[in-house]
Amino acid sequence: MYRPPSPRRPSLLDLIILLILISGAGWLYYQATTNMDYTWDWSVIPQYLFRYDAHQERWVPNLLILGLMTTIRLSVWSTILATIIGIFMGCLRISKHRVRRWLGGAYVSLSRNLPPLVLVFIFYFFVGEQIMPFLGIEQCVDNCAPATKSILEWLFGPTSQLASFLTAVITLGIYEGAYITEIVRSGIDSVDQGQWEAGNALGFDWWSSMRFIILPQAVRIVLPPLAGQFISTIKDSAIVSVISIQELTFQGMELMAATYLTFEVWITITLMYFGLTFGCSLLARKLELALRRREQG
Amino acid sequence: MRFRCFVLFCCGFILLATSTQAMANPVTEQLRDASTLEKVIKNGKLRIGFSTFVPWAMKDKTGAFIGYEIDVATRLAHDMGVRPEFIPTKWSGIIPSLLTGKFDIIIGGMGITPKRNLKVNFTIPYEYSGMSMIANKKLAAGFNSLEDFNKPSVTLSARTGATPVQAAKRFMPRATLRFFDDEAQALQEVLIGKAHAMIASAPFPAHQAIRHENKLFLPLGETTFTKEPIGFAIKKGDPDFLNFLNNWIIITSAEGWLQARHDYWFKTLDWEQRIK
Repeated sequence: MYRPPSPRRPSLLDLIILLILISGAGWLYYQATTNMDYTWDWSVIPQYLFRYDAHQERWVPNLLILGLMTTIRLSVWSTILATIIGIFMGCLRISKHRVRRWLGGAYVSLSRNLPPLVLVFIFYFFVGEQIMPFLGIEQCVDNCAPATKSILEWLFGPTSQLASFLTAVITLGIYEGAYITEIVRSGIDSVDQGQWEAGNALGFDWWSSMRFIILPQAVRIVLPPLAGQFISTIKDSAIVSVISIQELTFQGMELMAATYLTFEVWITITLMYFGLTFGCSLLARKLELALRRREQG
Repeated sequence: MRFRCFVLFCCGFILLATSTQAMANPVTEQLRDASTLEKVIKNGKLRIGFSTFVPWAMKDKTGAFIGYEIDVATRLAHDMGVRPEFIPTKWSGIIPSLLTGKFDIIIGGMGITPKRNLKVNFTIPYEYSGMSMIANKKLAAGFNSLEDFNKPSVTLSARTGATPVQAAKRFMPRATLRFFDDEAQALQEVLIGKAHAMIASAPFPAHQAIRHENKLFLPLGETTFTKEPIGFAIKKGDPDFLNFLNNWIIITSAEGWLQARHDYWFKTLDWEQRIK
């Protein structure tokens, strides 16, 4: 008689796989330490995270932490923009008008089928050059009051880099927006057709049905993939290092160019990214569970 | 009716006045007003594009920019009566960034080459740099001339960009080349023995030979096998700015100030503890 193995006890196969993994890691470590001919120097890395400022007499964040802050700002603003674009385009995608559907579809296929790197360059060199001077952001920032400046700094990072930063946000927002469009579309589509009919029967027009009946149900379905998309945005934000936005990857590369500590810096950056994305994953998981509990309870 | 005539006459008069005004504004004046020089003075800041490149420009422990290039740019801005704004930029995109107005000038150890000169204008040289090599002691044992490296079995690494590429193709056309985005990666290839040698601008090879004396050596000694003029790069069609910069270089050269700064950054390693 067949009995499935109890979930608590690891089987022999599990042990073998685990052994292979551990020995593989050990071999890699051995290779790295003996054959690499690399002088490790971890002692200087912490000062690039935080340093003691003698003038202000307190600890202040240094290069890598500043880069991480820029990465977080970039991800948050891009996700907000991508969500706005995604909701708007998602509604177009399910519209009854053919032209609107086509518009939404064209946007999604364009941004999803271009390498993000290409999009970044197009925006930075062509669009950024046309739009940003037209808005006159640099002059605005230069002329605004110190109080406004500090608020802007807190929201967007150093004001001198604001124009480039906004270009990066728009680029990332448009790129990630295509994925969010699809998430929104599938969320709305997953709500049963009968709900629309019920709305019609009660005399709701399209907008009211959407607002009171469909969206509240769709949001529950859409939240977990949205959280996943936010994590993707954090990872994709490394791409804008090519247009010299001073986020974590860029700062790391500059630091490597100055100190030649290639591996120490890369490993540090990897851990910082992992900490950020893994923390977000845990939060997303919590959110999902809370939603499920609300549904059941 | 009379009122209408009057309005028409006024309009005509205004048109005539503005058009003569435009005619009295010759091309030279327009050129002067459109110069980056005017813009820099008006905005009160000089935006400088550069790339991290030891010892030309790098960040110190506190995140402030230091280096030979930074000293030059800071003094230049000071002499113009404006503040410098440093914009660190990836080397591969530095010329397009200048052309699309992300900054006013490139002061980034950029070698003057005909190919680059077709896209941007260069000042007279304020500095000369030369290519040199750093080699792996095991792989390149006994190599001491360019000819030794000019074999298909030899792998050379370098930073992406025009000057090391040209030097390699001119002097060692038969060697295998590998390019990397920054110098640390190119050097790492030599350290782990994947490349025989790295081509880089002086003083980088000499500094590295001191740092890794048990693994690396200078196959050609302290000499450089090329001599490259280094200039500031600006957009084309701006004679006023170019004239100002050229004369600034002549003045600071005559003072001996450029040489003094060069000696501090290139001939000593006193600045190293400011980085690590």
